[in-house]
Amino acid sequence: MSNSLAVRTSKDTLARVREIVEQLAARDASGEVITAVHHIPAREAAWAAMPEWVRPELRAAFAAKGIRQLYTHQAAAAEAVRAGRNIVVVTPTASGKTICYNVPVLNAVLENRDARALYLFPTKALAQDQLAELHDLAERMDNAFGVFTYDGDTPSDARRAIREKGHIVLTNPDMLHTGILPHHTKWQRLFENLRYIVLDELHTYRGVFGSHLCNVLRRLRRIANFYGSTPQFICCSATIANPGELAARLIESDVEVLDGNGAPAAEKVFVFYNPPVVNRHLGIRRSYINETSRMAQEFLKRSLQTIVFANSRLHTEVLLTYLQQAFPTSPGSPQNVRGYRGGYLPGERREIERGLREGRIRGVVSTNALELGIDIGSLDVAVMAGYPGTIASTWQRAGRAGRRSGSSCAVMVASSSPLDQYVVRNPDYFFGRSPEHAYIQPDNLEILVNHVKCAAFELPISKEEKIGSVDLPALCDRLAEAGYLHKTGDHWHWTQEAYPADAVSLRSVTSDNFVIVDITGTPEVIGEVDFSSALTTVHPKAIYLHQGEQYHVERMDFAERKAYVKRVDVDYYTDAIRYTQVRVLEIADQARLTAGGEAKGRDLHAARSHGDVLVRSQVVGFKKIKFFTHENIGAGQLELPENEMHTTACWTTLDRALVESLPYPISERQDGMRGLLYAMHSVATLLLMCDAHDLAVAIGERPPSPGVAPDGWEPAPDLEALKQGAPEKEFFEPNLYLYDNYPGGIGFSEPLFHAHGLLLRKTRELIAGCTCQKGCPSCIGPTGEHSEHIKEAALAILDCLGTSAEPN
Amino acid sequence: MAMIPADKTKDKFARIGALRPVRRRGDTESEAPRDASEFARLLGATAERNRYGEHLSIRRWYATPEPCLTKMDERARRALRLLLPNGGKESAAKRDMLLASDPAEWLFLDTETTGLAGGSGIYAFLVGLAWWDSGGLQVEQFFMRDFGEEHSLLLALDERMAKRRVLVTFNGKSFDWPLLETRFRMTRAIAPRVPAAHLDLLHPARQLWRPRLNSVRLAELERHVLCVSTGSRLDWTRENDVDSAMIPELYFSYVRGGAAEPLVPVFQHNQMDLRGLAALAGRIFEMIGGPQSNGDGTAEATSSATDHPLDLYGLSRLLDRRGEPALARKACSAALVAGLPIEHDRAARRDLARFAKRAGDLPGAVELWKSILGTVPGAPAKLNAVAPTQSRTLERILQRTAAGTAAPASDGGHLRAALEACEQLAIHFEHRARAFDRAAQFARQGLALLDRAKAGRRMDDVSAGATFCRKWQARFTRRLTRLECKALRASHLITHQSVDPVPNEL
Repeated sequence: MSNSLAVRTSKDTLARVREIVEQLAARDASGEVITAVHHIPAREAAWAAMPEWVRPELRAAFAAKGIRQLYTHQAAAAEAVRAGRNIVVVTPTASGKTICYNVPVLNAVLENRDARALYLFPTKALAQDQLAELHDLAERMDNAFGVFTYDGDTPSDARRAIREKGHIVLTNPDMLHTGILPHHTKWQRLFENLRYIVLDELHTYRGVFGSHLCNVLRRLRRIANFYGSTPQFICCSATIANPGELAARLIESDVEVLDGNGAPAAEKVFVFYNPPVVNRHLGIRRSYINETSRMAQEFLKRSLQTIVFANSRLHTEVLLTYLQQAFPTSPGSPQNVRGYRGGYLPGERREIERGLREGRIRGVVSTNALELGIDIGSLDVAVMAGYPGTIASTWQRAGRAGRRSGSSCAVMVASSSPLDQYVVRNPDYFFGRSPEHAYIQPDNLEILVNHVKCAAFELPISKEEKIGSVDLPALCDRLAEAGYLHKTGDHWHWTQEAYPADAVSLRSVTSDNFVIVDITGTPEVIGEVDFSSALTTVHPKAIYLHQGEQYHVERMDFAERKAYVKRVDVDYYTDAIRYTQVRVLEIADQARLTAGGEAKGRDLHAARSHGDVLVRSQVVGFKKIKFFTHENIGAGQLELPENEMHTTACWTTLDRALVESLPYPISERQDGMRGLLYAMHSVATLLLMCDAHDLAVAIGERPPSPGVAPDGWEPAPDLEALKQGAPEKEFFEPNLYLYDNYPGGIGFSEPLFHAHGLLLRKTRELIAGCTCQKGCPSCIGPTGEHSEHIKEAALAILDCLGTSAEPN
Repeated sequence: MAMIPADKTKDKFARIGALRPVRRRGDTESEAPRDASEFARLLGATAERNRYGEHLSIRRWYATPEPCLTKMDERARRALRLLLPNGGKESAAKRDMLLASDPAEWLFLDTETTGLAGGSGIYAFLVGLAWWDSGGLQVEQFFMRDFGEEHSLLLALDERMAKRRVLVTFNGKSFDWPLLETRFRMTRAIAPRVPAAHLDLLHPARQLWRPRLNSVRLAELERHVLCVSTGSRLDWTRENDVDSAMIPELYFSYVRGGAAEPLVPVFQHNQMDLRGLAALAGRIFEMIGGPQSNGDGTAEATSSATDHPLDLYGLSRLLDRRGEPALARKACSAALVAGLPIEHDRAARRDLARFAKRAGDLPGAVELWKSILGTVPGAPAKLNAVAPTQSRTLERILQRTAAGTAAPASDGGHLRAALEACEQLAIHFEHRARAFDRAAQFARQGLALLDRAKAGRRMDDVSAGATFCRKWQARFTRRLTRLECKALRASHLITHQSVDPVPNEL
């Protein structure tokens, strides 16, 4: 017998999981390693009858699949849609959300053969998965309706048939934007009869992507109106704090939120695992990758079918190697632990999916490719190497384990990043009511102007029209002046040969991107970065990390917007030294913070504000930093152009008295502020469900009065000073800025302003809860050698800001 | 004091990258359509009104040096049958045929547009139409002075299309007509009228003239086909023609209030396109059907005397693809007799051999394959299966081989033809003539050709050539092994059964 991977059913899954958890807990005397064992009890299904109005053939088709009644939330959704309301259904994974929209939509198609629906999924793979489900239903009904996917892979000879015969067209926002809307005359049948638009995985439409999607939907509604239809929206979202608000902003209409869940669930154990500390002083823990591998091996040894999630391709491959070594198969026979990620061929992927469903494959290591949708059946255990970044996607990954009956387990192994450390040490944040908000800013001018161009191409813009909050006639006049449009009578017409949608990517704000060319072998484009991050990530001599691989930037061609890189294997990474100045242009709102400083009994003041800012930054050099030890092992100077960006920011102003009250030397006060801002940044990205890159930080002197900044910017200090990380001079009354790292802003600043109290409280929890002594990259960021009290200083500032106060 | 922008909105717009100007400032702007007088003076335009408003219309009649297709004789009808798509239903095809065979139903159409990208934001600002009238060509152009005139322009077009229901275009199936369909749909008032038939001359033109001309753009065809081959047919030249890439920008400048004069060449360009299109239609019908009968019985003179040999080869390709192998064979023979440049000569011989084989003329096919390999022809003794005229033609073609095309060309096209010839000959001798040694000889010749090609190949075309060579090498090697085996068995008189049957090789 090779290792015991054969299916055993002697012991219940949960019992076997308990065994493992107990073993671990026995070794963890301090309770620092297993930070949570959360037990989710089994839940009974809440049933509702299939609505009366559902037609017999549809009823029969569902019955043939074993569905004779609905869960309560499915019935409620179907009724609300039937009543003509826009809805957003909020349910966990595996609760049968597709039935929420398929029942009312298919019923409408069966009642009226002309009716059409458009399903939007954030990725092609999800649309493919839904296609299989709908095909199955169609076949059971004698092909009473036509369903097709329409994406970049659709062969051109099939497109005509889809336009005419597709009752339900499954596509993605990018295809709608570049392939369908600009050619709407070919889709006349669909638009004239468009009854429903389904937006699945709504929570993924946030930040830049969501702001773009909102504009694409504005264009979609405009075209539908042109053909005389007003479609109804059915949205589905994972659990977030503001699904109704997000949906209403995206579709710009009232939305009914349905957040009941009638689906049954088997019991489940969720374990948070924090790798043991190796060096308490430096806050270094055992490698979370190795720990994940050990954990997965324990489960596999006990015959539990296990899925392991890693956050990068590289880690997927590393973990796969470890697990395959641990469970070797006899030569020639197929591996029973497999990898799965983008880049595998479709045939191979299908084979793995099938193997998982049938139980032949006992373990799989995946990137987020298996997080959504794809049908792989239900496994026993999900192990996550590192926090996936948001609560929503953590639950989605955890949901990959869990059968309707029987029990399952999910384990999150934390890395040492501040996000992971915060979550693993504050289980209530995760298991309580979701604090994650999804925000969009569709009226960001950079984004909106591009969509106005696309809209004008699609249909001349009339002077009565409204798009968002912008002054549309004024904007069109400007576009006419610039040569894009021409006004005739009451309409602006498109006057360019080029096709505007082609130049607009829904995944970034401006199309000004740097292309990254790998010249290790035959030159090959491996990625793109937007202009502003190009300056810090692909400057000459930088180590660029892509899919876990290291690349050395050989040359940066500024005019051509290209960076040429070669694959390398080095033990350091580079950190660009960026000199940033922020100037406040306009304050949108401001509030005093009631200071805490109760010990001193002095009147200490601070304020929070949000508004428009101008960020000027220049990358002047870079540091080489050794992996793991974070030693500074060299530096270089760079001459790169300056970059100016108008955006929005939320900032905290510390009054002079507050700064002076801190019992530390000036340099430690300043370092304390930086440390505090580092931690605030981490927490803000948690609350806003955004990438670390979406939000940036800076400290600046508060100008004498807002709006009246000194005429010139201060020159960047020399490199040596910046390398030390120490500011040249003391801040008198500093502003701690958190700004949207996109031209025009992406809607984070105002929510941050309103959630300021929460932000400070959670920041305090992060710093105070960290086991390090003087600060570490898991809380206030890497610290230098002679900074004894930075962590204290950061906490002292938080005390002064009154972190115990309730949020406004 | 710090500067405070006078207009805050303006300031916000000013920093948006997506608003970066694409044209110079300072072009004069004017909103109202200018009156017709400017174009009346320049081009004789008149304003045409209908219930949707007004647009400009320009009419001109041209005497045509080429005969108009006013009535169709049997030859023209045969050509038409070949040109109409036969994918549709039988009855539909018949109806199309009936309509299209009346040239009075033909409407030549060509548009000038604001771009080539397609999609609902591209406009056809000038629609040119033409039809045969009173022994000449009547051209009518509709022009919108501004986007507001599009509705009335489209209505006028729709009326013309109702009168003449067969569209004749050059690339109109994939460009002009879909674009106009989009424009009609955008009106939400005038449904696009489906033409009864649509003759797009681009595809036949490609098949006919690709061998001779690299480009089959209409202007190229005018210069090389319509003028040269039949004497000076056209009474215009494209010397001062506008660069078509400039056309959208010329229109945009005009719409924004620029002068009318710079647009005049665009109108002339469109007129030339229409006249060229009409002339091309006549030429294509003549090529495919033979010249029109002039009623005095002179029409029987074959066109091959005046046609370029490569055009005859093109004609044979067209006839072959449209299901006329007998005619294709005739045209191919004529092309070879007239003499083709070496690379086309090989390809044409290969085609002709294929036609011969398909028609059951195996001896002819064998001689042709041999001639591709540069073998000096023996007396083609047994050509009795073929009609006498056909074999005389073949003799002339085979004579040509001796006359100097024997030098093996090193280009890929030749190599492919030669390899195919080797294979076909090997097949013939293996399965029909059952002369295994001869068959093996040709398989070996194929391998030798490959070796020579590999030795002479430049380093830079390895990638494409390597797979090609490997594929052929494997084919010949396999065959050779089998043949040697067969030869052995035959010599030992063990069996006559095929050891390794190869289905469908014949």
